[in-house]
Amino acid sequence: MDSEYIVSMEGIKKAFGTVQAVRNGEFNLKKGEIHSLIGENGAGKSTMMKLLYGMYAIDGGSIVIEGKKYTSITPKMAIEAGIGMVHQEFMLVKELTVLENIILGFEPTKGLTIDFATARKTVQKYIDQYNMDIQLDKKIGQISVGEAQRVEIIKILTRGANIIILDEPTAVLTPQEARRLFEILNNLKADGKSIVFISHKLNEIMEISDRVSVMRQGTYMGTVNKADTNENELARMMIGRDVFLNIEKKKSTVGEAVLQVEDLWTSGEKEISKIRGLSFDVKAGEIVGVAGIDGNGQSELIEAITGLRKVEKGKVILDGKDITNLSVRKIREAGLTHIPEDRNTRGLNRKFSIGDNLIEVSLDKEPFSRHGFLKKNAVKKFSEELIEKFDIRPAKAELPTSYLSGGNAQKVVVAREVTLGGKLLVASQPTRGVDIGAIESIRSILQDVKEKGLGVLLVSAELEEIMSLSDRIIVMHNGKITGRLNAEDANEEELGMLMMSGKEGGEA
Amino acid sequence: MTFSKIFNASLIYSTFRTATPIIYAALCAAITQQADILNIGTEGIMLFGAFMAVAVSYLTGSWALGVLVAMFGGLCIAMVMAVSHLKFRSDICAIGMGVNMFAVAITKFLLNAWLKQSGTFADPKIIPIPKVHIKAIEKIGFLNDTFNDWTITEWFVIILIIVLWFVFYKTVWGLRIRAVGRMAQAAQTAGINVDSMKYQAIAISGLVGGLAGAHLSLGYSAMFVENMTNARGFMGVAAMYFGGAHPIITALGCFFFGFADSVGARLQAYGVPSQLVLLMPYVATIAVLAISMATKSAMEKKRKSSLITAA
Amino acid sequence: MSEKTKAALNILLSMILALGAGAVVVALQGESPVEAYAALIRGAFNGKLKFGTTLAGVTPLLLTSLAFIVAAKAGAFHCGIEGCVFLGGIVAAYIGINWTFLPGPLQLVACFIGAIIVAALWSMIPGVLRIYFNVSEVCCTILMNSVALYITNYLVSGVMSAGTSLPQSADVVPQVKLSQFMKPSSANTGLFIAIIVTILVMILVYRTTFGFKLRQIGTNPANAEFAGTDPKKMFISAMMLAGSIGGTAGAIEVLGVHGFFLNNFASGLGTNGMLAALICKNNMFVAPVISFFIAILKSGAMGMQQATNVPKSLVDTITAVFIIFACMNIIGDVKKKREIREGRA
Repeated sequence: MDSEYIVSMEGIKKAFGTVQAVRNGEFNLKKGEIHSLIGENGAGKSTMMKLLYGMYAIDGGSIVIEGKKYTSITPKMAIEAGIGMVHQEFMLVKELTVLENIILGFEPTKGLTIDFATARKTVQKYIDQYNMDIQLDKKIGQISVGEAQRVEIIKILTRGANIIILDEPTAVLTPQEARRLFEILNNLKADGKSIVFISHKLNEIMEISDRVSVMRQGTYMGTVNKADTNENELARMMIGRDVFLNIEKKKSTVGEAVLQVEDLWTSGEKEISKIRGLSFDVKAGEIVGVAGIDGNGQSELIEAITGLRKVEKGKVILDGKDITNLSVRKIREAGLTHIPEDRNTRGLNRKFSIGDNLIEVSLDKEPFSRHGFLKKNAVKKFSEELIEKFDIRPAKAELPTSYLSGGNAQKVVVAREVTLGGKLLVASQPTRGVDIGAIESIRSILQDVKEKGLGVLLVSAELEEIMSLSDRIIVMHNGKITGRLNAEDANEEELGMLMMSGKEGGEA
Repeated sequence: MTFSKIFNASLIYSTFRTATPIIYAALCAAITQQADILNIGTEGIMLFGAFMAVAVSYLTGSWALGVLVAMFGGLCIAMVMAVSHLKFRSDICAIGMGVNMFAVAITKFLLNAWLKQSGTFADPKIIPIPKVHIKAIEKIGFLNDTFNDWTITEWFVIILIIVLWFVFYKTVWGLRIRAVGRMAQAAQTAGINVDSMKYQAIAISGLVGGLAGAHLSLGYSAMFVENMTNARGFMGVAAMYFGGAHPIITALGCFFFGFADSVGARLQAYGVPSQLVLLMPYVATIAVLAISMATKSAMEKKRKSSLITAA
Repeated sequence: MSEKTKAALNILLSMILALGAGAVVVALQGESPVEAYAALIRGAFNGKLKFGTTLAGVTPLLLTSLAFIVAAKAGAFHCGIEGCVFLGGIVAAYIGINWTFLPGPLQLVACFIGAIIVAALWSMIPGVLRIYFNVSEVCCTILMNSVALYITNYLVSGVMSAGTSLPQSADVVPQVKLSQFMKPSSANTGLFIAIIVTILVMILVYRTTFGFKLRQIGTNPANAEFAGTDPKKMFISAMMLAGSIGGTAGAIEVLGVHGFFLNNFASGLGTNGMLAALICKNNMFVAPVISFFIAILKSGAMGMQQATNVPKSLVDTITAVFIIFACMNIIGDVKKKREIREGRA
């Protein structure tokens, strides 16, 4: 093959059960370029690259790498062909050390044992070459997300990768850290490596790419040179229509504090996610956004407020009532509703039907049950109303929620919580992993909730979401509040700084 | 003094002696646990091994052949589990219990139909695993009481513990199996064939489990009794939990159970009812398991607490 | 093919494979498989005694499989039903012998209540250990079975001994005995108690809020907690419910079949119930059918042994092979072996 491409994929098909993740995928990569692959959530971009890396078997189509055609490919073959992939969820074993993780699968040996000395030397060479900051003897569980990402890059470089795939690498980084990553990527490109950059953030794509390929609903939409395009054109290719996500922020009358958190201390999965002495409040009729890099204590904070994690010190007061360490049931009765960050484990029971999921928080109340017996008809009637009102598809109350797409599954959660009313809505990553249509409707629902006079506590890793919805913003770093700002005064740059720094910000 | 009659030098050996079959079982469970597979079938693998060892030793007059066939038998049972779990996606607890029931039934059936026996099978033609007699320490009371006349498999278990520790923590295979057990996706993306590693772990576990059975029927005793493992496999699994699948700590855990058993046996001479003596190792196992797991969760809680700063 | 058809075919195919394997073994012994199985069927159905014995055999299996399934619905692998049967039995025997100050029907009710309470508390132990200390309930319950066996053995050899050479208790008073039918078999009205309990539990699990919560924690405890169900409380409740069903089975065996506590009487009852549950993958509605099938095999085994020289222990082997095949998803897609499971994109 005298192709100019070192990778070319054509006519790719892949289904998971009944879901056709990739219908007609196409992708090609030139040597020494940074090529972005973009699309909405569920457009099939990650799947395409996982197929190239051999994590899934292709159902149809062809993959050619450096002139060699593959009908089936395993990760081992992909690695041998010089492909390396940094997955969105890092492929690192947290109980093992950084060095053990890097050499896994390619361990140098001396006699019967692993030759750690040689391994260390080889790895150090790459670390020095790209001037990265990595501690080889720490366990993965102890290092930061940014460092873990660098470990992933070093790992694939030591395996001799020439083609490097990065799946949404900036999702876990601050704007400053992202810039540092781009420097590394440019250095790699200068060394002749070819890079595939998966993302849905158009500003980043315009900054880093040479060429951009777009996918929509599992189908290849075309490839353009960055020089010949702009953000608007890319957005249209991605979505198929014009989108205006910047909804107008509605002003509503701000009332009394509905949530008061006073000197809160709570346990954390990691040292940096332990909450130590945190205070803030949320007033009726406002949205307070919590910004921060994932894993800096946001999840723990939300769990402590909602009764899912024990408060070790301090107080949580909801609408004047002390709800510290009450049961989830009591806290919900006091008027707290909650859209959790992980809909698959927390938010929904994927084995239960849509209807059962919609009533599970009101199970013991009439009309859904009487004297401990379920009233199936009432459940059905109620859930059909909600399915229609929130446009959940497919509109079948008895269907298990495992059949729903990310966006529709999230709508079930939102419908359930918003219908309860109450005093405070805690919304954690409410639009993570859902399609643009659902993002639009969920964001406008949050605005409606605020207009109705509830307080909203919004946690999101997307700065753009925080800035476009919140009235006030709290920035968290290492389990502490490092900044309190009014939304009008905030800009991305400043938030990014606060997300990394340890300085306590002023009162807002 | 009653007390000194119960707690004397020979208690050390008798503790070790009663612990050995459980140590083998625990190691059998630890190997698969490293690959994140709970080997509920340990009991069945061990029981089948015990039967095969006795049957072959009886028929051929060779204990060594008996041990080898027992290990092969353990391998076969383990592979049934492996294929069922890995290829046909059966629940590991379900297939593990299935294998246990199969082992109880098939050994009983073979005892009836093949050896024409029922209940207990003891025969002078069953050649046990030989004991190692060290002449040099014959005269030294303590050493003689404690270390002389161990069976070969009792010595071998110590070697096996060290070998497994070495394999798990120092070799390529060990690193890979631990990666597979803790995060299979990471191993897969490193080009490691996860299923193949799991098959290997289960297969080796089967060999060790078969050996556990052979030791029980040819080393620890010289007979086969229906369901003679008597939940030792599960005690092994409990010890594996205790030691977090670390071979050395796991083996140490087994000594508690062996100790409870040995002390109980001595107490019987002083009028403690036999049933209460027999239930002691079970109660000890549950207690040790509960205490060790409680300690672990307390430590985990402490590690996560915001009121304490980790080192 | 719908999931239900697949599951049914899977069980059927496993049954055929198991019986086929049994037939091969019979043939290898130089006997006729047809004759052996015919003898087995005759042994289970032919005549009042034989059919009655089969029915008496179904009774405990209905309850022990149900108990296992209830625990499984809450996410537990409860191997300790057998221990609950033993303890339920010994309590029923004790009350049935000693509490004669109560009028007849009340004493009978007391036997059941006592059995249920003790078995539920016994079954609570592994539940608490699991929830608060993360102790594997599989290990714990298996070991506790041995403890329960030795405790009852100790009692009927000592304080509760009837003074006979065999370790067993004295007879319970006649007024608490469950009436037998199809004599001389040991079939008794306990069968109807078992059927009623089964139906009640089905309603409980699928028609009440308690059952909803139980299934909720069994399928997704994190979501249950989020929705306001206390997973700890529910898990322990489920374990206790399972234990109390096991205790009921023990009381029926003692009051209906034996009339006294016979040492080691429950050996295999819990295991076989678990087997029935595992074969139908914890389907409460199919489990009774499987229980019946296993009861037929068990009670027909003696007939087969007498007619053909095939040892009755073959039947245990056949059921064990049955469960091994049934655990596997023989029918279905084995294809996606290389792919790591992942949520929908």
